Amino acid sequence: MKLTLTLNGTPRSADVPDRTLLADLLRDTFGMTGTHVGCDTSQCGCCTVNVDDQAVKSCTMLAMQADGCKVTTIEGLGANGLHPVQQAFSQCHGLQCGFCTPGMVMASVDLLRRNPKPTPAQIAEGLSGNLCRCTGYVNIIHAVQLASQVMHGNAP
Amino acid sequence: MNAGTPHALLRKEDQRLITGTGQFSADAQAVGMLFGHVIRSPHAHARITRLDMSAVHAATGVRQVLTAQDVQAAGFTDLPNVVQVKDQQGQPQTVCNMPVLAHDKVLFVGQPVAWVVADTALQAQDAAELAQIDYDSLDVVVTFEDATAPDAVQLHAQAPSNTSVKFEAGNRAAVDVAFTKARFVSDIAIESQRLVGSPMEPRTVWAWHDETKGVTHVHTPTQGVGGMAGFLATITRWPHESMEVHTHDVGGSFGLRGTAYSEHLLVMLSTRQLKKPVRWVGSRSEVFVSDWHGRALRLHGHIALDELGHILAIRFENQVDVGAYNVYFSTHIGARNLSITMGGAYKVPALHMSSHIYFTNTVPVSAYRGAGRPDIAYAIDRLIDHAAHQHGLDGLAVRRKNFIAPQAFPYTTANQTVYDSGQFEAVMDHAIGISEAKGFGQRRADALQRGCLLGRGLAYYLEASGPGGAAKDQVRGSFDPQGILSLHALTGASGQGHETSFAQIVENEIGLPASAVRYLAGEPQHGLVGNTTGGSRTLYGAGSAIKNLCQQLMTQAKPAIAELWACVEADITHVKGEWQEVGGAQRRLRFADWVTSLGAQAAQVHAMGEATSGMTFPNGCHIAEVEIHIATGVAEVAHYWAVDDVGLVISPEQVLGQVQGGVVQGMGQAFGEHAIYDRETGQLLTGSYMDYPMPRAGGLVRHFHHETHAVHTELNLLGSKGVGESGCSGSLPALANAVTDALRQVGAPPIDMPFTPAKLWAAIMAAPRKP
Repeated sequence: MKLTLTLNGTPRSADVPDRTLLADLLRDTFGMTGTHVGCDTSQCGCCTVNVDDQAVKSCTMLAMQADGCKVTTIEGLGANGLHPVQQAFSQCHGLQCGFCTPGMVMASVDLLRRNPKPTPAQIAEGLSGNLCRCTGYVNIIHAVQLASQVMHGNAP
Repeated sequence: MNAGTPHALLRKEDQRLITGTGQFSADAQAVGMLFGHVIRSPHAHARITRLDMSAVHAATGVRQVLTAQDVQAAGFTDLPNVVQVKDQQGQPQTVCNMPVLAHDKVLFVGQPVAWVVADTALQAQDAAELAQIDYDSLDVVVTFEDATAPDAVQLHAQAPSNTSVKFEAGNRAAVDVAFTKARFVSDIAIESQRLVGSPMEPRTVWAWHDETKGVTHVHTPTQGVGGMAGFLATITRWPHESMEVHTHDVGGSFGLRGTAYSEHLLVMLSTRQLKKPVRWVGSRSEVFVSDWHGRALRLHGHIALDELGHILAIRFENQVDVGAYNVYFSTHIGARNLSITMGGAYKVPALHMSSHIYFTNTVPVSAYRGAGRPDIAYAIDRLIDHAAHQHGLDGLAVRRKNFIAPQAFPYTTANQTVYDSGQFEAVMDHAIGISEAKGFGQRRADALQRGCLLGRGLAYYLEASGPGGAAKDQVRGSFDPQGILSLHALTGASGQGHETSFAQIVENEIGLPASAVRYLAGEPQHGLVGNTTGGSRTLYGAGSAIKNLCQQLMTQAKPAIAELWACVEADITHVKGEWQEVGGAQRRLRFADWVTSLGAQAAQVHAMGEATSGMTFPNGCHIAEVEIHIATGVAEVAHYWAVDDVGLVISPEQVLGQVQGGVVQGMGQAFGEHAIYDRETGQLLTGSYMDYPMPRAGGLVRHFHHETHAVHTELNLLGSKGVGESGCSGSLPALANAVTDALRQVGAPPIDMPFTPAKLWAAIMAAPRKP
């Protein structure tokens, strides 16, 4: 099936089997391998991207469902330098192996869009759909707090 | 900070990982790449009576189908068992190796049976469903009791009673005598339950064959190319020089990615036979039933104390479930790793351990973060806590009384392990000092007001870091004309931040800025000797070699400095990367400034650093306060304090990160994770993240505080002890002791991990007293 979408600001078209998942379209067809696939039950959130500004687990969406949509992946997030969320993840040591990081960052961006000044408990709740095996989450929560502070002046 | 102010990134790894430009093994695409799919056993124990692959062969896009016969025809061996031990009578262990593909029989759900390669991953997956395989199912054993029952079905013809070996360590007679003389004895049987290690990157491998050079290039996440290449050469029986292993970014490993699995061998065989690149990417559902599982230990500890609370002896009787086969490190865990530090940080005159290592119809077990060390650390400190309470002794006083004193080092344990250094009481006092001990009574009362039982637990762990399999660690360092130092060694990172820590060592030693140092794991691999990452040893193993390299660079440059200053070498000395003229004009020159001044000549500056580093003894004290909601049984860690002696700290942020990550992995085991098999069918009941409760961001730990307490070690050039596994070793006993303390308020007896809401609620409901 043919589809057209705007990927990281650029119009892209593809002709893929109808059962193709959005995650596979992004990785295999468009080469956006920053979107990682960590499970097959929509639990880990490594594949989180933003579709029309909303965080979506791209393994849970058919490619065709994104036809006509605006899709942002980790590669497109900091097109003009690093996004404050990316910067904060590094500064707070919110990543170790980095496999979950693109999904964590994309989920955090949407979290801060919906709730610019979240409490630590709200951050933990907001990221509970994203798994990390390395960091123990402590520094991930710090990173989102820092990003909130930088972007919206939220006191830590 | 101001909005939008750019700040330097914390680690050298971060730029690529936060922008999605890292190179994980499943990211690569190659022209003409084919895709493999594994057909796995749906049965836990069955005879294969028919294997008809004709429909698979005929399916769209299929290029190849392999079964056990093809693997045998290729001359591949089974997967290796790294350590073989003997029993008390001197009889060698019965080793049952896992075949690359099952022939005749399958022994666990998920075992690879056949392999399909097609033009696309979906075609391979679709074709696999057309396989006609008949299984004649057999009885299943998944518990110790079932596996060792007199009438139990036997997994391997050569292993009666499904027993691989009954291993013993220590002095049985001395322990028996001590128990007869004891004033107090206690025992507690605990389980360190089977876990699914779950690095976030699913296991994957792709390979291509370079016809002109006769070299197969294997790309896969691993802990070090040397170890992986060694296993692949052993199994394929191909010459070592006919393969190269490449690892770039690795999405977590925790012991699981250090060894070769069936899929590595199948991809390699297919790529050589089909002359095309071949890739396999595991789905999470597949790796739940095919990544080696972790832990799976039952430890029954006994302790004998005299009337003053001195420990006279400790005995452990262990049941070690290795799963269906002996793969890689399972015996090492059950035999060596459980026994060498079984007295912990305490002086114990008599030690004895027996481990019954047995088979079940489950995924084989190998190393997972600590590989037996956290388990024994957990058992020791639960045993001491239990004994103290049972006999009305003060747990802290018992620990103080029995700690190996600072002046007793080097200290040889009753099991002949030599500890080099430690200040255990000082570290414990450090931890108690930061842990707001005085406020506990009030916090407990406040918790009760909120309908919660608050418990406080303390644990002192000591572990032996990895001695390493290679004789030494080498690192090659060379400058390019821009003055950038490239370091090459075999140890590979999977989140530990080697690129950052190694650059920091160079900066500390010769003042070269971290931005001018590059670390390349395993390239070029040939000619270098070194260890895989594992056992918390990389920082001091490869790090000591880097320190040695830096020292050599300083020595090497000395004649050039003498020439530059027109003085004799004897008039030059160097301190921490700076040349100093003794007498004369007392000139000073930093190595970094000198090397950048060389321009193109900098390429002439190179050296091979090396170091021999054995095991070290990281230790520490962790204190936890756990709050259990009485009405629901939900537990939360209200406070966590940890003080660790990891020796010299190179990167404080990364040490903290390792401890936080390790402690939360421990929390995962303490409060939920459990690979549960159905006793009748051998099916894995917790086969996805929907049933297997990984720690998540919410509701785990409300307050976390960590400090280090460095005690010098001379066991390696760098003076570090390692930190990778200490978070698991400290957290399991601290959390369990806290939970036990909370339950004690209602008179409930100790229970086993995982402390799930259902178990805690049931324990509180069945308790003799009401909260």
